[in-house]
Amino acid sequence: MITAGHEDPLVIDGKKLSSRFFLGTGRFPSPAVLQMALHASGAEVITFAVRRVNLASVEDDSILQHMTDRELVFLPNTSGASNAEEAIRIARLAKAAGLGNWIKVEISANPRTLLPDPIETLRATEQLAKENFVVLPYTSDDPILCKRLEEAGASAVMPGGAPIGSGLGILNPYNIGLIVEDAKVPIIVDAGIGSAVDVVRAMELGADGILVNTPVAKANDPVAMARAMRLAVEAGRLSYQAGRIPQRRYASASSVHEGISMPMAAVAAASQEGSH
Amino acid sequence: MKRLNDCRLYVITGENYHPGRTMLDVMEQALIGGADIVQLRAKDTPKREVLAQAYALRELTQRYEVPFIVNDHLDIALAVGADGVHLGQDDLPLAEARRILGPDKIIGISTHGIKQALEAERGGADYIGVGPVYPTGTKPGRTAVTTDYVREAAERVKLPFVAIGGITLDNVNAVLDAGAAWICAVSAIVGSEDVAGACRSFLHHIRLKQIDSMISSSRKVCVNGREERTTARTVLELVEQLNLRDKRIVVELNGEIVPIESWVSAPLTEGAVVELVHFVGGG
Repeated sequence: MITAGHEDPLVIDGKKLSSRFFLGTGRFPSPAVLQMALHASGAEVITFAVRRVNLASVEDDSILQHMTDRELVFLPNTSGASNAEEAIRIARLAKAAGLGNWIKVEISANPRTLLPDPIETLRATEQLAKENFVVLPYTSDDPILCKRLEEAGASAVMPGGAPIGSGLGILNPYNIGLIVEDAKVPIIVDAGIGSAVDVVRAMELGADGILVNTPVAKANDPVAMARAMRLAVEAGRLSYQAGRIPQRRYASASSVHEGISMPMAAVAAASQEGSH
Repeated sequence: MKRLNDCRLYVITGENYHPGRTMLDVMEQALIGGADIVQLRAKDTPKREVLAQAYALRELTQRYEVPFIVNDHLDIALAVGADGVHLGQDDLPLAEARRILGPDKIIGISTHGIKQALEAERGGADYIGVGPVYPTGTKPGRTAVTTDYVREAAERVKLPFVAIGGITLDNVNAVLDAGAAWICAVSAIVGSEDVAGACRSFLHHIRLKQIDSMISSSRKVCVNGREERTTARTVLELVEQLNLRDKRIVVELNGEIVPIESWVSAPLTEGAVVELVHFVGGG
């Protein structure tokens, strides 16, 4: 029996995570809201981008100053890279910051869709795994590609449900299902989530975790949405583990037929007999 | 008023160099020309006359917001509210002068060798005079210390020092080359037909030299895509100049990541390409 609150950690590269909800830190209305949303989300893994220090502004725009000392796993991304070499360079820069060796490989090939370049993503994953990074590639929802990434040394694979920030949800649940079925490493659905329903959907498909940023950061109430999605991750996970009923075309009564109490039916039957 | 580090041109009165013109007129021209500190020196003038001149110069220098120094006479300096005094090696000892004047007045000491310079520095002088660099009619009979002493002072004296003695527009570059940043002239300025013009010419030479030394001690680098000149010699100095020392940033120099412990020894050479990155919000 699975009961709420049971031990069900997600393990990536030996690291035990009690939360399956990964939160991105971009585009929040303010550092304070990010902080509250992070708290509400219960996330243990948070993502960042690596950018140039703005030398023209005296204001400190580094995200880390806003992070609490709660133990978090830092997952910097390689956003901005358009090929494997650029991604590898950003990964090395991120590692030099001294906050661990996890890296989300993100190589966009098209500015309109921001869809990941599969060839470059595979190349970068191979190289970075050789350099002992914990590599979590963001990839398209192609089952074969996800398998190849796993074989290339990815510690988890992160297929997108839909393009980044689109909020279109899980466009190809069939593929996500196949990916999960075949995977020997955790599958984290990254990108495309719009609201809690998409989170539940992905988790019910068997995803091991969810990474979101925009749907929380840009929700009317980011803190409430962070909480909604945290609950959705838990609900979806439990629902997946509980095992759903098969879908069918027609109804299947939830009450047994035998023993329906129908006194009026008996009276009606008797009077019908009497009228003959 | 003790901002001597910024002083570039020190002008001292010398009435015998400008017969027919009043001292006040000549000194005002010097101030118009850019003199940024003025000294009243009148060795053989009756004290009452010196006092009158001091009052007049105090008023004039106040209008131009320039420090006013009185040579030798502490009593006159105190009487007129001068900013300080300048003392020779045979005048009242520094310690006595400081006791009388208090900590806020400027005290300058003439020195003719490094030993005297270091002694004045230890004794709490605010600046020293280094000279006479060349033979001068203002101090007849004194052996010139030459630019060798200027060079020595530039290397070893931490106090602001002013090079003095026989300096003219013809030899000022040699004095600046030896490391002087602050020049004093008497006859070459107050004896000039065009006092303000002479001051401007001196300042022009001083500024050109300043720019020269700035350029030769700086290099062109590209920081985060921006071409700029920097005086920083190492990655650490650059990071410190940008006030990023205590930030969690990563430095890449010519395509190679420089670990934080190597910042101190990573040289910034001409044309270096530096990238400074950190974490920002992202998904």
